[in-house]
Amino acid sequence: MRNLLNFIIKYSTWFVFTFYVLISCILLVKSSDNHFSVYVSSANAIGEAIYSTSSEVTDYFGLLAVNQRLQESNARLESEVLNLRQQLSQYQVLAQDTLPDPRAKRFGFIGASVINNSTRHPRNHFTIDRGSSDGIKPGMGVVDQSGVVGIVDVTGKHTARVISLLNQNQHFSAKVKGTTFVGSLTWRGEDPSVAFLEEVPRHAKFNVGDTIVTSGFSTTFPEGIDIGTVMGKVKTTDDTFLVLKIHLASNFKTLGTVRVIKDALKQELDSIKSIGTYE
Amino acid sequence: MNKSVISYIFLFVILVLLQALLMNHIVLFNSAVCFIFIYFLVKLPVNLAPNLVLTLGFLLGLSVDMLSDTPGLNALCCTVLASLKRPVFFAYEQHDDQKRNMAPGIGTMGILNFCKYAFSISAIYCLLAFFVEFIEFTDILGILIKAGASTLFTFLTMLAIDSLVYKN
Repeated sequence: MRNLLNFIIKYSTWFVFTFYVLISCILLVKSSDNHFSVYVSSANAIGEAIYSTSSEVTDYFGLLAVNQRLQESNARLESEVLNLRQQLSQYQVLAQDTLPDPRAKRFGFIGASVINNSTRHPRNHFTIDRGSSDGIKPGMGVVDQSGVVGIVDVTGKHTARVISLLNQNQHFSAKVKGTTFVGSLTWRGEDPSVAFLEEVPRHAKFNVGDTIVTSGFSTTFPEGIDIGTVMGKVKTTDDTFLVLKIHLASNFKTLGTVRVIKDALKQELDSIKSIGTYE
Repeated sequence: MNKSVISYIFLFVILVLLQALLMNHIVLFNSAVCFIFIYFLVKLPVNLAPNLVLTLGFLLGLSVDMLSDTPGLNALCCTVLASLKRPVFFAYEQHDDQKRNMAPGIGTMGILNFCKYAFSISAIYCLLAFFVEFIEFTDILGILIKAGASTLFTFLTMLAIDSLVYKN
């Protein structure tokens, strides 16, 4: 017993070292599906306090650019509202007896500000200032005024961590606008404005400059939200699929205000999907 | 509480905040990052108990991880760095009793030896951090460029801070 104690004391530094390295490796490898990771993410109480205070100051620096983008998107939306209103008035004459379609109110938005952001890692995350008390749940989609930016990952009470589109572990289902050619959008960890649409069928038709939008196959994003534009085809060794190079619509270095998408049918659709699986 | 203990706690908090709020957002030429928080490990006295150095290193890394959403990455690299700090220090300094109690710095080591020491520490850290983070990539040259640029950035910032403290 005494020898054992002596041994432990003599080599205690090695034990301490191994212990810390083990903990770090567990965090490193299992960072996404680990309960403990909630406490070591920026969505915890300390991170919340620090980043909400700092963003109160730094938010002012980007106001000019944010304002300009908002004005642009406002103008676009206004013209869209006018068009839709015109169309609606035409249809209202035709459809006075029909019941309102519940699907029309399927998606809702929760506005939020980005309070911490990174683009330099291979797996990037950012933090927003809305959390579970505002109705945010893991798995919800996040968009900004230009397009898709990420998916909620961990929620704190008043903050949430979002997996950025610039995260090589996260794939997004996307398609060429106006077609049915669906692929998987992946970021490869280099330029924060370039991503790749993989597994596109060989016979897909596209032009450089075509818009890439969400496919609407998951409950995370509704169909047709902008992601980016096609820059060209990438050479691959695989003959069955195409890989397209995509210029992303959102500027990830200056994320300011975002919206979290709430799908009223999410629970229903997910429960239907899980019936079919026997795993 | 000893006066120097308080100043070390102060240094810890300031460096972690500086890293999370400022340095994480500065990426020069798309590759150079400044890991200024390792200045805390650089400044720890050489004769401090090894277990305490390891613990402080781990906590330092974990605090930075918490605020930058890189769970485990900096904790792992800081623990390894904490274990290498002593051998690196004595590679450039003589084993004499006078120097054992001091905090490494320009004032105590002289500019040349401090430069060698701080540069080695930065290089070890940057190589570790980039290799652990980009482990899946085969682009070794890209990792080396990033690590090299970050080493230089971290080293120069550290030198600037230390010379400011020394002048005072």
